[in-house]
Amino acid sequence: MHIRTAVRSNKAMAVIGAAALMLAASACSSGSSSDKTPSASGPAKGTIVWYANQFGPTNTDVRKTLIAAFEKANPAIKVKLQAAPSDSDTFRSTLTTQISGGNSSFDVYDGDVVWPAQFGKAGLALPLNKYFPASYWKTFSPGLVSSLTYQGKIMAAPLFTDNAFLFYRKDLLAKAHLPVPTTWEQLQSEAKTLQQKKLVKYGFAAQFDSYEGLTADFTEFEADAGGATLNSGATKSTIDSPAALKALTFMRGLVSSGVAPSAITTFQEQQSESLFTSGQVAFLRNWTYAYADSDSSASKVQGKVGIANLPTFDGKSGPGYSTTGGWNMYVNPHSKHLAADVAFVKWMTGTAAQKIMGIQGGELPVNAAALASPDVQKANPAYPVAAKNKLAARPSDAAEYAQVSNSIYSNVNAAVSGSSSPKDALGKADKAITTALGSNGL
Amino acid sequence: MSADQAIHPPDLDNSPKKRGRSRSGTRSGLERSSARLGWAFASPALLLVAAVTIFPIVFSLIMSFSNVNVTGDGFSLSGFTGHNFSIVFTSDLWQHAIVFTTLYTIVTVIVEIILGTAIALVLERLTASRGWMMALLLLPWAIITVISAQLWSYVYNGVYGVLNVVLSPLNGGHDINVLGGSFSATAAMAVADIWKTTPFVAIIALAGLVMLPGDIVEAARIDGANAWTIFWRVRLPLLRPTLSIAVLFRILQAFGLFDLPYVLTGGGPGDSTESLALLGWKVMFNDLKFGPGAAVAASTAGIVLIACLVFLKVFRSQVGSEETA
Repeated sequence: MHIRTAVRSNKAMAVIGAAALMLAASACSSGSSSDKTPSASGPAKGTIVWYANQFGPTNTDVRKTLIAAFEKANPAIKVKLQAAPSDSDTFRSTLTTQISGGNSSFDVYDGDVVWPAQFGKAGLALPLNKYFPASYWKTFSPGLVSSLTYQGKIMAAPLFTDNAFLFYRKDLLAKAHLPVPTTWEQLQSEAKTLQQKKLVKYGFAAQFDSYEGLTADFTEFEADAGGATLNSGATKSTIDSPAALKALTFMRGLVSSGVAPSAITTFQEQQSESLFTSGQVAFLRNWTYAYADSDSSASKVQGKVGIANLPTFDGKSGPGYSTTGGWNMYVNPHSKHLAADVAFVKWMTGTAAQKIMGIQGGELPVNAAALASPDVQKANPAYPVAAKNKLAARPSDAAEYAQVSNSIYSNVNAAVSGSSSPKDALGKADKAITTALGSNGL
Repeated sequence: MSADQAIHPPDLDNSPKKRGRSRSGTRSGLERSSARLGWAFASPALLLVAAVTIFPIVFSLIMSFSNVNVTGDGFSLSGFTGHNFSIVFTSDLWQHAIVFTTLYTIVTVIVEIILGTAIALVLERLTASRGWMMALLLLPWAIITVISAQLWSYVYNGVYGVLNVVLSPLNGGHDINVLGGSFSATAAMAVADIWKTTPFVAIIALAGLVMLPGDIVEAARIDGANAWTIFWRVRLPLLRPTLSIAVLFRILQAFGLFDLPYVLTGGGPGDSTESLALLGWKVMFNDLKFGPGAAVAASTAGIVLIACLVFLKVFRSQVGSEETA
């Protein structure tokens, strides 16, 4: 009897404790909301913290090179690098918790190109309009600046831009006497040929995991087929279209025909790239930095890598679309070193830093003058190819973009992995996107 | 730690303090003042516990019934509304997550209890090597789930994974992508979960077995019962209170499933392995919808609470009927 009473009270404690655990996960700090705009007066000096994740080639840390160059040019300011999670969703949740909790331990942070609307709506970044002169924004392309703007407020400064490319094995194509494919259908049949000749194990790799990267990949296929996820005002879903169906059916076909490994539905950038650099796949869709990585001494295919614009579908004029990617610099609204922050952001987006970005960072400079300079153009064969890219933007001008994107990638992933039909997946995605845009559902 | 709690109750009843109190019947003035002093000493710790458990619970509940706005300066809550819950309850994602999480919990907990009890029975028989075996068994339990999930992802990887290397020859050379199918991904996650938490159940069950009074088993043996009958008719019923603790802990933990799908599948393929906790996290920290996110958390807590109370009720009435019978 004694045993039972004691056990019972322990169980009651366990139940209460568990309820606490479940709920504690959802609770965060609260505070009053006030709309204050701090001023950037005072001298630009002191130590600031830059919260950034790794970018550029995997084997060097360009962030440190950039900081060293900045400190040399601005001896009064020291920059401390704080490493951020590489996964952008994890990074965002860290930022949300810290900034809404009033944390001022970092001053400037890097963030995805698809965040400005969401962060603008939630006030998680300091609007930059009043800290930079109008002439500063003219050093970037107008399209780029408008992608940073939410309701007239410029939420970030661009750090680097990113394009997608087709990376291919020059040696394999030469052996099989095949041209570089310009259509997706051609790519599929060439890949099949290379696999049948036992020249390579897999034909094609990309990022089809259930995450943001798949939204980027799908946007390209969809644009190639002539479709778009949202209408031009970003107010209505147009994803359930014949064009999107063609794109998604083709993506599924890459897997079911054995051209892409079945594990492609769990691939993010890194997994797809390492399959390519280990010499196991003929064609790779990836971002700019993959050239520097696959042509490095750590790669098994060094010297055998070709780079081209992505293909399009048969009967469409090429080249295919590339999704615009890249990262921006945002300022923490709680930063106590605004003058130094502004100086740092200005320098990082200026010509000197952007040249480093292009030459050593393996990323496309946002600064037109830096990109055009001959030593940058010479540094990476991706840059001349990028100039010919047709660009497609993800519908990130909707403040509900995160939820829209989730609706896209989870349903597209289901279709590509074969657990639902392309038609059903698009129907479900359409419904989910409509819910997201109406702001009245999960 | 939980194993301790399972072992403690009978000890507690034999503690000198309790015996002393029951002997004297009423408390003396000295006892009362020393109790007050005890509360005074404990209060800072209790306040701290309240701050880190009760405050978040209350705040989260308030949040789930409010219109929440995220701003750079924190959250602003306004009004009283059932809107968050109506959003959550009508959502396909939530309905799917609840079915998935519940089924996953039921299956993994049943398997873990059976396996864990079996292992405990073996451990009980071991003499010299029991300490070593227990240490070995506890290794999976001691590894942080995120790390062990990462290790399992190497096993399941559809290109380099151990499983693929072993099984793809049987599949005509085609890759086996375990994490690419709804059912296989769920099963793969369940295996990783069972691998990790069965030792926990085994340790609790072992503690229960060791505490069973030897004379009852001895009496049954003298009466001519075989080992099978002794297990089913004598030891298992006596073990039931201990196992119920293990089941409760496991239900609570399994319902909060987050790290395994986060690392292994990201909720995919599609949203087929999206647990309630993962959904809550996505709604809160990706979509920045804190009101509905808090409602997901509150609904999860509510369901877990009900599940545990129902389990306790059923369990207690069973034990009660057996004792009166």
